[in-house]
Amino acid sequence: MAKKTKQRNHTGVKIATGAVVCVESEIRGDVTIGARTVVHPKARIIAEAGPIVIGEGNLIEEQALIINSYPENIIPDSEVEPKTMTIGINNVFEVGCVSQALKIGDNNVIESKADVGRNVILTSGCIIGAFCQVNTCEVIPENTVIYGSGCMRRVQTERPQPQTLQLDFLMKILPNYHHLKKTVKAGHAAS
Amino acid sequence: MASLLQPDRVVYLVRGEKKIRAPLSQLYFCRYCSELRSLECVSHEVDSHYCPSCLENMPSAEAKLKKNRCANCFDCPCCMHTLSTRATNIPAPLPDDPTKTAMKKAYYLACGFCRWTSRDVGMADKSVASGGWQEPENPHTQRINKLIEYYQQLAHREKQERDRKKMARRRQCMPLAFSQHTIHVVEKYGLGTRLQRQRPGAPLSSLAGLSLKEGEDQKEITIEPAQALDEVEPLPEDCYTRPINLPEVTTLRQRLLQPDFQPAGASQLHPRHKHLLMKRSLRCRKCEHNLSKPEFNPTSIKFKIQLVAVSYIPEVRIMSIPNLRNGKESQVLLTLTNPVENITRVSLTSCEENDPDEINSTAKVLVPSKELLLAGKDAAAEYDELAEPQDFQDDPDVVAFRKSNKIGFFIKVIPQKEEDTDVTVSFKIRHDFRNLAGPIRPSEEGADTAAEAIWLTHHVELRLGPLAS
Repeated sequence: MAKKTKQRNHTGVKIATGAVVCVESEIRGDVTIGARTVVHPKARIIAEAGPIVIGEGNLIEEQALIINSYPENIIPDSEVEPKTMTIGINNVFEVGCVSQALKIGDNNVIESKADVGRNVILTSGCIIGAFCQVNTCEVIPENTVIYGSGCMRRVQTERPQPQTLQLDFLMKILPNYHHLKKTVKAGHAAS
Repeated sequence: MASLLQPDRVVYLVRGEKKIRAPLSQLYFCRYCSELRSLECVSHEVDSHYCPSCLENMPSAEAKLKKNRCANCFDCPCCMHTLSTRATNIPAPLPDDPTKTAMKKAYYLACGFCRWTSRDVGMADKSVASGGWQEPENPHTQRINKLIEYYQQLAHREKQERDRKKMARRRQCMPLAFSQHTIHVVEKYGLGTRLQRQRPGAPLSSLAGLSLKEGEDQKEITIEPAQALDEVEPLPEDCYTRPINLPEVTTLRQRLLQPDFQPAGASQLHPRHKHLLMKRSLRCRKCEHNLSKPEFNPTSIKFKIQLVAVSYIPEVRIMSIPNLRNGKESQVLLTLTNPVENITRVSLTSCEENDPDEINSTAKVLVPSKELLLAGKDAAAEYDELAEPQDFQDDPDVVAFRKSNKIGFFIKVIPQKEEDTDVTVSFKIRHDFRNLAGPIRPSEEGADTAAEAIWLTHHVELRLGPLAS
């Protein structure tokens, strides 16, 4: 409990207007969600070791886990500087993926059941294929596709298109079937 | 415990040209010869060709013309997945009025797995959904075709020579075995004789009779021999100093899937048409009866003829193994399942000394000496409540349980070797087999007798697992 009060400088979840966040999703810690982002039920966004800032137009599907946790789950005894996890715009986190990457750019797609480690930095247009586990310590160059059981890589010539159609559809349909979390205007800007 | 049910734990010996040990699920049973057959002692014949993605059937002649590739479907050159056609709307000037633009549909190929698109190699979007995609032309096609024609002619001539010699020796009433041999030989230069037969003036097929037309109207095809060059293209100057752009280099697999071009760079990887798969039928080599014949329709997985061993031979499976210790006797529980509908009698015998088949066993085995009775497989038994359970009077030392057409029985195993390998035992299983496929001969008494039962013996080897440490 003491740990929680230390972190609660900016308390709770800040949801911008226009974002659709279902009530069944689990959001803990200091999380900022941008406009036009859709968070499906059963998605989990957990900010343990620092705040999470999510940009606009992102699509976070069911059972996706975006977690800013301490490395190897060891809570340090001394006070460590909380690192912010930034997620850009137009990203897609498909069903069941796990993302711990501290910095994610724009237009990336993390496919189903993929696992992205903490030391990976995704730039723009990257596609992490289904069930690929990327726990290296590197910056993934733009427009890279990681696919296959051996995590083969290739570079594609164009970035994946933003899922505007899907986002519009979900923003219309989800409120018909789920209760949404109320939007909370950001009191102070997220760091 | 599921590892005990793995198919390779219990293998049956097939006495063919080679001695093959295979699990019963992979064997066939020729009920005319009354013998087990494995995939190596049957002849495989192509039944039909079909495309695995669009499931379109293709007659064999057309398949050969198209080099066994589908006309509609493409393979991703990067990950070998099937490509799908996607459409986008692009603004294009109207043909009537160049100033206005209308949305036209443009199609491109994309791979769902590795996200490769046809735009990556520079292929322009097509305006038709299918049929617009061309494979790049091989620059050496002409020379290759000429070479193929020349060698086909050569092979044809050789075959005629051989046929002429053979006709003198073989009788006319054995066309089947005779033709099979010549077919295998002529096919060695590809494309075969079918296309040649259609040419006027060429001799008719050698399957029926032989026409020894010597004066053929085919013109002699000559080829120029390949010429060796002294000078080779020099390597580029920056060959050693230029840094490698790794995403651009193709893998060996990607390269060798296109043997015509073998591109070194990923920007030259063009999609190829998808390979056709084929359905095959199996034929016993001794009696020439079909053992397995699939249905013609590519969407159907059933068989017209399916003489698999599991539907005729009782199957032995391992049920539980105690801890095995070297030199100590342990009881292993096995099950026997009866696949046929009549009662089967099974007797087991251990292998004698110096049995040539027993090369793998590392333990001595004591099998039950009494005959085991297996009830027939009755599909309606579970619904029939009034049926009396058949009373078999099993010896509880031998038979552990009995359940419809299955029994569990004990064998005693004494491991002999102290090594680290698996304990293997083998024994012979002898059962009666009623051949219901034979012709029904009207008996003299007038009553219809059951088919004659013949006794079949199989050699079974079981791999029980390592010794308990």
